[in-house]
Amino acid sequence: MDAQLVVVIAGILLAAVIVGSVLFLRGYSGKFTFDTSGGTAPRASEGEGNTSGVAFKGRFTLLTLGVGAMFTALVAKLWSMQMVSSDYYDSLAQKNQTRTVTTPAPRGRILDRNGTPLVTNRSSLAVTAYRDLADDTVMVRHLANVLGIPYVACRRNIQDNTEGAQAQHTIATDVRRSAIAYIQEHAGDFAGVQIAERTERVYPYGTTAAHVLGYTGTITQEQLEAQKEAEAQGSDASRIEYQSGDIVGQAGVEIEYEKLLQGIRGEQTVTVDAGGNVTGQEGAVPARAGSDIRLTLDLTIQQGCEQGLAHAIEVAKQEGYENAGAGACVCLDCTNGEILGLASLPTFDPTVFVGGISSDLWSQFNSDDGGQPLINRAVSGQYMSASTIKSLSALAGLEYGIYSSSRTSNCTGWWTGNGEANGKWCWLHSGHGTMNLQSGIANSCDPVFYDIGRDFFYNDENPEGLQEMFRRWGLGAKTGVDLPSEGEGRVPDAAWKESFFKDWSAEERAWNAGDMTNIVIGQGDILVTPLQMAMVYAGIAMDGVEYTPHVFLSAVARDGEGDAYLYNETGKKEHLKPHINSDADLELVKAGLHDVIYSTNASTASHFNNLSVQIAGKSGTGEKAGEDEYAWFVAYAPADDPKYVVACVLEQGGGGSATALRAVRDVFGVIYNEPDTSDSVDTATR
Amino acid sequence: MAAKAPARSSASSLNRVNKKISTQRSSFRQLVNPGVLIAWVLLMAYGAVIIWSASLTNAEASFPRHLLGIGIGVVVAAVIWHIDLRNLANISNVLLVVDIMLVFLPYVPGLSVTAQGMTGWIRIPLVGLNFQPVEIVKLVTICFISALGAQYNGKIDTVRDYVRLCGMLAVPFCCVIVQGDLGSALVVFFGGAVVIMMSGAKKEWVLSTIAILIGLVSLLLATDSIIDGIFGDNNSIFKNYQMRRLLVFIDPSSDTSGSGYNLQQSLIAVGSGGFFGKGIGNATQATSGFLPEAHTDFVFALTSETFGFAGAIVLLALFALLMFSTIRVAAKSENLFLRLVCTGIVGLWMFQIFENIGMCIGLMPITGIPLPFISFGSSSMIAQCAAVGMVQSIWRHRAKAA
Repeated sequence: MDAQLVVVIAGILLAAVIVGSVLFLRGYSGKFTFDTSGGTAPRASEGEGNTSGVAFKGRFTLLTLGVGAMFTALVAKLWSMQMVSSDYYDSLAQKNQTRTVTTPAPRGRILDRNGTPLVTNRSSLAVTAYRDLADDTVMVRHLANVLGIPYVACRRNIQDNTEGAQAQHTIATDVRRSAIAYIQEHAGDFAGVQIAERTERVYPYGTTAAHVLGYTGTITQEQLEAQKEAEAQGSDASRIEYQSGDIVGQAGVEIEYEKLLQGIRGEQTVTVDAGGNVTGQEGAVPARAGSDIRLTLDLTIQQGCEQGLAHAIEVAKQEGYENAGAGACVCLDCTNGEILGLASLPTFDPTVFVGGISSDLWSQFNSDDGGQPLINRAVSGQYMSASTIKSLSALAGLEYGIYSSSRTSNCTGWWTGNGEANGKWCWLHSGHGTMNLQSGIANSCDPVFYDIGRDFFYNDENPEGLQEMFRRWGLGAKTGVDLPSEGEGRVPDAAWKESFFKDWSAEERAWNAGDMTNIVIGQGDILVTPLQMAMVYAGIAMDGVEYTPHVFLSAVARDGEGDAYLYNETGKKEHLKPHINSDADLELVKAGLHDVIYSTNASTASHFNNLSVQIAGKSGTGEKAGEDEYAWFVAYAPADDPKYVVACVLEQGGGGSATALRAVRDVFGVIYNEPDTSDSVDTATR
Repeated sequence: MAAKAPARSSASSLNRVNKKISTQRSSFRQLVNPGVLIAWVLLMAYGAVIIWSASLTNAEASFPRHLLGIGIGVVVAAVIWHIDLRNLANISNVLLVVDIMLVFLPYVPGLSVTAQGMTGWIRIPLVGLNFQPVEIVKLVTICFISALGAQYNGKIDTVRDYVRLCGMLAVPFCCVIVQGDLGSALVVFFGGAVVIMMSGAKKEWVLSTIAILIGLVSLLLATDSIIDGIFGDNNSIFKNYQMRRLLVFIDPSSDTSGSGYNLQQSLIAVGSGGFFGKGIGNATQATSGFLPEAHTDFVFALTSETFGFAGAIVLLALFALLMFSTIRVAAKSENLFLRLVCTGIVGLWMFQIFENIGMCIGLMPITGIPLPFISFGSSSMIAQCAAVGMVQSIWRHRAKAA
C-alpha cells in the first residue's frame, strides 16, 4: 500500500512537470506567432548563429559527440568486465560447466579389545546411472525386469536427486550376482548403467553390545542445520562436511566417535552442459575409509554380561516376578576405568537400521509398550540405589562421628527412632538383634542406618554430611563415560526438596528426619545409574580412586598395525579421588562387604564358595510403590587386589541377593572361567 | 624529330595514364565513400566469421543462409547506390502510406507466417524466404521524417511545426508498437528523433519533449501498478514478466531463471573472454549452450567470449568508422533532405548498437534487437545493407544541386 502511495505521489509530480512543459511550449508558440506576423523581423535573438551552415556545424558536432559518448560508455564497461573483472567471470564460467560429485567412503570398523570385529562392513553391489538414463524408457523397462523391480520404482530411483543431480543415482542396492553378471555381459544394451560397490554395516554378533555400538542412519535435518551453524561460527577446519543423505552414527559409539569412524568422501569432477547432462569426467580424489576403532569391551565378558542378565531375569520370572525383563549389567576394570562389558535389556538388533528403519518399528522402539529397547539402561537408566549405598552411608557415619565403629544398635525389626508414630520396619521383620556397623553392612540391617540418618538430621554441624559423602563419590553427577545420554542421578537434600515439589505446602516440602532415614538406605528420592554404582564400588575397591569409565580403547592405525591414538595416551584419566577419612573406616566397610558374600547367608555363599578368588559385594532391593522390587547387586574381585567390578540392576526383579546376584556371579564365572554351580535361590535376604 | 617524338609521346602518354589513374581514383572516391565501404565490408566479414564459429555447435546458425543474406544485401546496396534518392523528398505522403502498409504486411492473409511463435514475419511469395518488413520500416520512416523536416530549411520556427513533426513520427512509431515489436518501435523513434533534432528544433523544445515523454511513461507505469494492485496482474497493461525483463538489467541476480539467467550468462560470457578471448570453438558459454541466442540477440557476447576485449574493440572501432564516416557524408551533402536521411541512419545505428551491446554487458534492458551486420538473420542484414547503399548514394549525389 505504501509503495502504491509513493507511485501515486510521483505520478502527480510528473503530471505537474508535463503541464509545466506544455505551458512553457505555449509561451514560445505565442511569441513566435507575434514575430511571424511582423513579417521580416530579424532573428538575432537566437543564440545558434544566423546561417544554416553554422547551425548545422553545431548540430553535427553534437551528433558526433553523442556517438563518441556512446562508444566511450561501451568501451569503459567492456574494460571493467574483460580486463578488470575477467578472473571473476572466468571462475563463474568454470563453475558453470563443472560439478563436483562425491563417492561414499566406508565407515571404520569397530573392534573389541582383542581385535574381534563387532561392527564391520559388507560390500554390496549397487546398480547406478546418471539421471538422463530415465529418458530411455525401453532400457529402463529392460533394466527393471533384470533387477526384478517395478518399472515405476526403477524410473523414480534414476530420477531421484537426493544424491545430487549430477551424481550417479542408485537404482538398486544388494543386487544379485546373476543380475550383475547379466548386465555386464550385455553392456551394449545397458549403455550408461554402472555397477558401483557400496558398503553397509554388518553386525557379526547380532544384538551383542548393541547399546554400546549404537546404530547408523541417514543424517537428520537437525544435524545438517547444526553443522551449518557450526560453519557460521567458523569452528575447526578438520571437521567432516556432511551432505544430505549421508550415513552417520546416531547412537552409542557410532555417534560418539563419528569423527573417527566417518570416512572422507571421494570427489569426482564432471563437466556438464547447460542442460545439466554429464559430458565428461575430470580429476578424481578417491574416497578414504574411516578409522577402525578398538573398544575396551572384551567380547567374552560382554557376552557374559548379556547372558548373566538374561539368566537373572529368567530366575526372577521363575520366582514369580513376571514383570521382570528390563535391566542392566556393567563390568569394568577398576584399575583403569575400562568398561569390559555392558548389557542392557530389552535390546535391539542394529541391523534393522541398515538402509533405513521402518517407521512402524521405530515407533515401537520408542513406545513404553515396546519396552524402550533403545535406552542404554547401564548409563541412562536411573534407579534408587537401595542398600548398595549403605557402604557410603557407613563411611559418612564414621567420618562425621555419627556412628563409631564400636557403637551398636538393637534391631527388633521395628525401629522407632523417630517416635512410635514414625516407626519403620527393618527388611527382616523378625529383627537382627544387636548389630554394629560392620555386621550392619553385612546383614544390610536397616535400623543401624536409620540411626545414622536420624543422627545426621539432628546433627547441628553436618546435617547434610551424608549427601556430601554421596556426592564426593560421584553420585548425582555424570561419570564422563564416552557414551551418549548419560544420566546424572540425584542426591536429594533440603534445597532440592524445596524446589522440586513446588506445589506442596511449605511444611510438606521441608526436609525431615524421615527423608534422611530413607536416603541413608538408598530408598526414597535418591537416583543412581548402574554405572555410577559400579564406579562407587570401583573407588572403594581401589582405596579411593575412580578412573573415568570409557569404552574407547584406541583408533587403529591406517596400515592396520598398532594404534594411531589411545584413550589413555596421556596416562590413566582419574575421574575423581574421594577423600578417605581414615584407612580404618574403609577397611571396616570392605570387611562388611566381604561378609555379605561369605558370612551372612548360606545361599549367597554357596554361589561364590567355588570361585577361586575372594569377592566383596553388596545387594540391594529398591522399593517402589505399585511395582515389584528392583534388584541390585554390586561386587568386586579379587577382594584383596581388586580388578573387576560388576554391577547389575533388574527392574522389578525381586530381591537383589536372589536374582541380580546371579548375573554378577555369571560374569565372574566368565572372567575366571569358573561357572556358578549353585542353584540356590535366597528369597529371604534383601 | 624521330628522336623527340617517342619522348614526347611517352611523356604525354605518361601524363595521360597519370591523369586517367588520378581521375579514376578521384572518380572512385567521388562515387563511393571509402570509410563507409571499408567499415561495411569488414563488418560483414567479421560477422561471417562469428556466425561461422557459432554454426559449428548451433544448428540454427546456418552459415550458407547467412552468406545468402550478405549476397542479397550487397545486391540491394548496389541497386540503391545507383538511385538518386532526392526524389523521395517530394513524396512524403506516399512514404507514409508505404510505411504503414509495410508495418501491417504480416497481417495480410497470404503473406503472414508464424515462425517459432513470433509474429511480424512475412513469407515472400515464389521465393519462399521469410522476411521481417519492420527492418525496412525503419529506413522508410527515416526518409519520411527527413522529407518533412527538410521543408523547414534547417530551422523550425514555430512550436506548431515542431509538434506536427513529432506527431508524424508518432504515426509509424505507434503502428510498430501496435504490431507488437517494442524494440523496433524504439529504434524507429530514436532514428526519427535524431532527424527532428537535426531539422532545427530548438533545444528547449527537445528538452521539454523529453520531460513530457518521461512523465508519460512514468504515469503509465504508475497506473499499471495501481491496476495491478486492485484488479490483479491479468488486467494490467504490462504483465509482471514484461516488467521483470525490463528491469532485470539493474540487478541480474534478482531473477536467475528467466531473463536474469540470460543476462547473467551473457555477462559471464563477455567477462570470461579476457583480453584475447578463448578462440574459435572454445567459447564454452556459447558452445555448451549456457548462452542463449548466441547467434542472434546475444551475438556480441559470443564475439567477446571468442575474441576477447581485443575483438570487441575491433568491432566497436569498425562501427565507429562506419558512423563517423556517415556523419561526414551527411556534412558533405549539400541537399538538406539527404543530409537528414544520413543523420537518421546514424541515429538508427546508434540506438541499435548501443541497445544490443549494452544489453549484453548489462547497461541496457533486454530487448530483441539485432546487432547490425553481425547478427544472424537475413532481414536485418538486407535492411542494413540497404542503409549503407543509401549512404553511398548520398555520397555519390552529394554535389548535385537539387
